[in-house]
Amino acid sequence: MFDAPEVEFRNVTKRFALAEGKTLREFVPAFLRGRGFTNEFCALEDVSFSIDRGETVGIIGRNGSGKSTALKLIAGVMAPSSGTVLVAGRISPLIELGAGFHPDLTGRENVNLNATILGMSAREIAGQFDAIVDFAELHDFIDTPVKRYSSGMYMRLGFAVAVHSSPDILLVDEVLSVGDAFFQEKCLAKMHEFKEQGVTIVVVSHSPDLIAKFCDRAIWLDHGRLQAEGPSRSVVEQYNHMLPHLIEVV
Amino acid sequence: MARIQTLQRQPLSTPSGPIGLIASLASFWRRRDLLWHMTVRHLRGQYKQSILGYAWAFVNPLSQMIILSFVFSTIVRVPSGDVPFPLFFFVGLVPWMFFANALASGTDSVVNASSLVTKVYFPREVLPTAAVLTKLVDLFFGIVILAALMVYYGDPPSVTAFWFPLLFLVQLVFTLGLTLPLAALNLYFHDVRFLVGVALTLWFYLTPIIYPIDIVPHRYLWVFDINPNSLFINAYRRVILHGEAPEPGKILLGAVIAIGTFVIGYYLFKKMEKGFADSV
Repeated sequence: MFDAPEVEFRNVTKRFALAEGKTLREFVPAFLRGRGFTNEFCALEDVSFSIDRGETVGIIGRNGSGKSTALKLIAGVMAPSSGTVLVAGRISPLIELGAGFHPDLTGRENVNLNATILGMSAREIAGQFDAIVDFAELHDFIDTPVKRYSSGMYMRLGFAVAVHSSPDILLVDEVLSVGDAFFQEKCLAKMHEFKEQGVTIVVVSHSPDLIAKFCDRAIWLDHGRLQAEGPSRSVVEQYNHMLPHLIEVV
Repeated sequence: MARIQTLQRQPLSTPSGPIGLIASLASFWRRRDLLWHMTVRHLRGQYKQSILGYAWAFVNPLSQMIILSFVFSTIVRVPSGDVPFPLFFFVGLVPWMFFANALASGTDSVVNASSLVTKVYFPREVLPTAAVLTKLVDLFFGIVILAALMVYYGDPPSVTAFWFPLLFLVQLVFTLGLTLPLAALNLYFHDVRFLVGVALTLWFYLTPIIYPIDIVPHRYLWVFDINPNSLFINAYRRVILHGEAPEPGKILLGAVIAIGTFVIGYYLFKKMEKGFADSV
């Protein structure tokens, strides 16, 4: 086993501008008065952690605690305001599945497009294509434009592509709430399979139970700060214990 | 050892200096299969659910050619030398339409893909580049009409027309260089798309498309010398209609402007790329 971390956050801070100048008319006067972006919101503040290869880590926290921001930083779609995010390996984000689907294109065309976006080569796609269609259970509809798909079919195809892209790091954001119970079961089984194969998995969830059950380790974020980190059961216990107090404060 | 090397990858880092810029271009090149898929996606999406489909790519330039030819050769009577006006006009119109359509659609490309931009990382320059490349199909149809027109007027292209691909490559680099920063800026300020619309209208009239450069008063000629589209279109007319090789000085100037625009535009794009997901 490699003990080099696969994901590393070093003093990561992420700020967003709240009052954004969306038009020049708003931006120019604000800019002239000296930097328009004064209302800043700090989604993550000085957060440091690392995730080793093959670990399954859950990120818990309430709404607005910075969970999804952390996931987006790992996915590489956002850059930190300060600090460093280091990531090694191919990432497959299970975040809002099927984001890259084009409604007018068929399932087959979208599989090719989405898999390419995730970094698969044409040969890899050809090799995995049947497995993707099998997993999504869309044999009869693979040449139908995806706009005719039900939302469940859409999600299934998105999930199927993502899990067949042979990722080193799998990012999961509340996706297990999609599809029917049967498909959820299948997704969970697939994630267990990944876990056994030594794929690094980062799960973001509101559900502490899922994280306690599925993850080795948990990271608890609150108001953008690292609240606790450690074995998932003990972190979830702390979280569950603190939660009523936190609600009282708010 | 190989692992240590890959670990140091930091997503979305701004290229620093020329080496960083070349590294960015190299990683863009490695994702050329994605560029291809995106281009096809644009194309397939463009004319789907329209009865005429790709025939629409003919209709637009053809209708403009007919109406503007009528206005400027029959009513206003713009001199076009020994070349029939529709031919003269169309040689300028086809590459102009490529430029204008590519710039307009490229400017919107990143905004239109915002759902993708917030979810998965890939070199974002794929989006505007694919939008620009999509317009090559329209350009091809335009060239087909132009060829038909030349046959109709019994005025076959000269051998010097073989210069066209090289000249067009310069125009393509220029178009890309301008589209990239505009696509990025449009994400921050939605005014940019409207600004591009206005600028293109003005630019059309300041480019010798419906009139020859010869009738421009001398004291205004400098405007056309710094307008790359004017350089390109004059060169196209020379090589296709007049059988003359392009003027080396002007080609060099065009190439310098094109490459300069691309380098600056690409750098600005990569610099702004970091904040894309924040501002969607």
